[in-house]
Amino acid sequence: MNQYQLTIKVDDKQVVLERILQVARYRGFLINGMNARVNTGTNIGTIELMVRSERSIDLLVDQINKLIDIKEVKVDNTATQQLGA
Amino acid sequence: MTTQKKQTGGSVLFNVLQQHGVEHVFGYPGGAIMPIYDALYDSDVQHFLCRHEQGAAFSAVGYARASGKVGVCLATSGPGATNLITGLADALADSIPVVAITGQVPTSAMGSDAFQEIDVFGLSLACTKHSFQVTNVNDLPKVLHKAFAIALEGRQGPVLVDIPKDVQLAEVTNSLEDFSQLRNKVKLPPANVGSAIALLSKAKKPVLYVGGGVGMASAIEELREFSKTTRIPSVSTLKGLGAIDPDDENYLGMLGMHGTKASNIAVQECDLLIAVGARFDDRVTGKLNEFAPHAKIIHFDIDTAEINKRRTADAAILGDLKINLPALAIPLSITDWQRECQQMKNDFGWKYDHPGENIFAPAVLKEISDKMPKNTCVTTDVGQHQMWAAQHMLFNDPSNFLTSGGMGTMGFGIPAAIGAQVSRPTDCIIAVSGDGSFMMNVQELSTIKRFQLPVKILLIDNAKLGMVRQWQDLFFEGRLSETDLSDNPDFIMLATAFDIKAKQISKKSEVSAAIEEMLDHNGPYLLQVKIDAQDNVWPLVPPNTANDKMMESI
Repeated sequence: MNQYQLTIKVDDKQVVLERILQVARYRGFLINGMNARVNTGTNIGTIELMVRSERSIDLLVDQINKLIDIKEVKVDNTATQQLGA
Repeated sequence: MTTQKKQTGGSVLFNVLQQHGVEHVFGYPGGAIMPIYDALYDSDVQHFLCRHEQGAAFSAVGYARASGKVGVCLATSGPGATNLITGLADALADSIPVVAITGQVPTSAMGSDAFQEIDVFGLSLACTKHSFQVTNVNDLPKVLHKAFAIALEGRQGPVLVDIPKDVQLAEVTNSLEDFSQLRNKVKLPPANVGSAIALLSKAKKPVLYVGGGVGMASAIEELREFSKTTRIPSVSTLKGLGAIDPDDENYLGMLGMHGTKASNIAVQECDLLIAVGARFDDRVTGKLNEFAPHAKIIHFDIDTAEINKRRTADAAILGDLKINLPALAIPLSITDWQRECQQMKNDFGWKYDHPGENIFAPAVLKEISDKMPKNTCVTTDVGQHQMWAAQHMLFNDPSNFLTSGGMGTMGFGIPAAIGAQVSRPTDCIIAVSGDGSFMMNVQELSTIKRFQLPVKILLIDNAKLGMVRQWQDLFFEGRLSETDLSDNPDFIMLATAFDIKAKQISKKSEVSAAIEEMLDHNGPYLLQVKIDAQDNVWPLVPPNTANDKMMESI
C-alpha cells in the first residue's frame, strides 16, 4: 500500500471537488486527508489530496487530468511513502 | 411592425442546437421541462417522441453512431432524468458524443425534496464525460456550446445539461453568441515514433489490434492504408468491426472471449501487438497476465489515461490517428507470418453445416449479411445473438454495426435502430435482437409505428436468456436459475398491434424466403426466428483463462 500527496490546481467550477473525489474512489484510492482553498481573485482552486492505494498513482493522475476543469495535477514525491500492511 | 418574441432559456436551447446543426432530437416531456417543450413548438428541430427516456437516450446514441453527429436527448426531472442514466452510461463506456438536456425543478425548490426532484447533476458524475447545471439563464448559451465542444473533443462522450424550470422560462439577451471549439486541454506528450519504428522493423510476428477508436477518429482510410502498406495480420474488437476491410486477406476477425480461433492464437503468438484505438478490455484480453505473452506493445490512442492502464506500452503514440498512423506505415518483411495466419484463417473458418431441421442462427445472420443492401446498418441487443452477429456478419464501416460494447446494455438494439434510421432515412437498418433483450425496450415499437420507420427487426428467439443460460450450463453445473422465458408473449401478435408486419419461422427450409421477404418489405418488419434453446456461442474463452485455451464445444 502506497501513500501519495497530490496537488491539484482547478478552475473554481461547479462540483469540481466532488468530481475529483468520485474519480479517486472509483479508481481505487482511499483518501487519508484533504485541504482545499480558492483564490477568489483568480478563481483558481488548490486541492491537496493525500491518498493511498495498491495501484500506481499514474492511474489516478491521468484520470483526474481528464476532468474538464483541472488545470494541473502534481505528485509530491517527497510525501510519497510505502505503508506497512 | 412586427414584435420580436423575447428569447427565453427554452428558445435559446433550440437556437443553439440549430447552430450546431442539430435537426433531430429524441425525448419525452414532463412537468419540469415544459418550457423547453413549449419552445420546441416554435422550433424547426424535429422531435421524436420515444416511449421511455431510456429509449430516447439509446436513440440518441444510435443516431450519433450511425451518422457521426452529436445525438441529443431530452427528459424531465426526477424519473425522467434517472431513466436517461443507463443510456448515458452506455455512451460513456463506448465514447459516444451525446448531449442530454434534463429539466429540473425551479431553483427556489432545489434541495427541498420537491416533486420529481432528483440530484441528476450528482448522478451524472459517474456516467458522463462532463455535466453542467445552469442556474443563470445568461450562462445558458455558453454552457450549451461548451457541452457540444466537450462531447466531441478528444475522446468523445456524453455531456448532461440540467436546466431548472425557472431558467427555461427566464428571458435572455445575447443568446446567439458565436461558439468556438475547445482546445484539447491535456497536452499530449510527443508520439514515440522512433521507438515504434524500431519495434516494427524488428518484429517477425506483428499483429494489428483494431479498436473502436479508429472509427471515432474517422481514421478508417489511414488504418486501411497502414494495413495495406505493412500487410500486418489484423484482428478487431467488437466495436472496431468494420474498420478493417473484412475482405482483406490478412484480416483474421474479432478477438477475445468469442473471437475467432485464428485471431486469438495469432495474438497469443505475436511478438509485437499494435493496439490502435483499443483499450485492452477484459473481454478482449481474457486472463490479462497471459494475454499476448511474448509481445511488445505499440499503443495508439487519443486518451492518455488508456496508456499503461491495463498493459504497459513499449511505445505510446498519443494523438490523432489520422496523423500518427501514416507516420508508421512502412513495408515489412513478414511473409512467413502472414502465411501462417492465413493458414489458420483457412483451417479454423466458420462452419454452417448444422445438422437437423432446426434453424442455426449463425447461418441466418451470414445469409442476411450476404443479402442485405450495401451500407446497411445493423444494431444489436446484448447476448448470444449479439456475439453471433459480430462473428457472422461482415461490415465495411464501424458506423454500420452499432452494438453496446463496454456497457453491454440489453434493450439497446431497437431504440438504437430508431436513431440510426432517423439519421440515415434511405439506408436499410436491421435490429438483431434476442427475446430477452427485445422485451427490455419493447415500448419503442410505438415510436417505430408513430414515425413509420422502416426498421427491420430480426428476433432470434430461444425462449431463454440464452447467454446466461449458456454460462449456467457451462460454469454453474446446469443450475438454470431464472433464465427460462417460455412464457414470452406472442411476438407476432405484439408486432401486429404496432402495425408492424411480422412472420415467424422455425425450420431451415423457411429461412431464405423469409429473409428476402423482410429485406424487400417497404415498411417496418419483424422476423421471429425460433432456434434451439441449447445452441451455444462458440468459441468461448472461459473467465480468467488465456485466450488460446478456448472452448469450442461441450
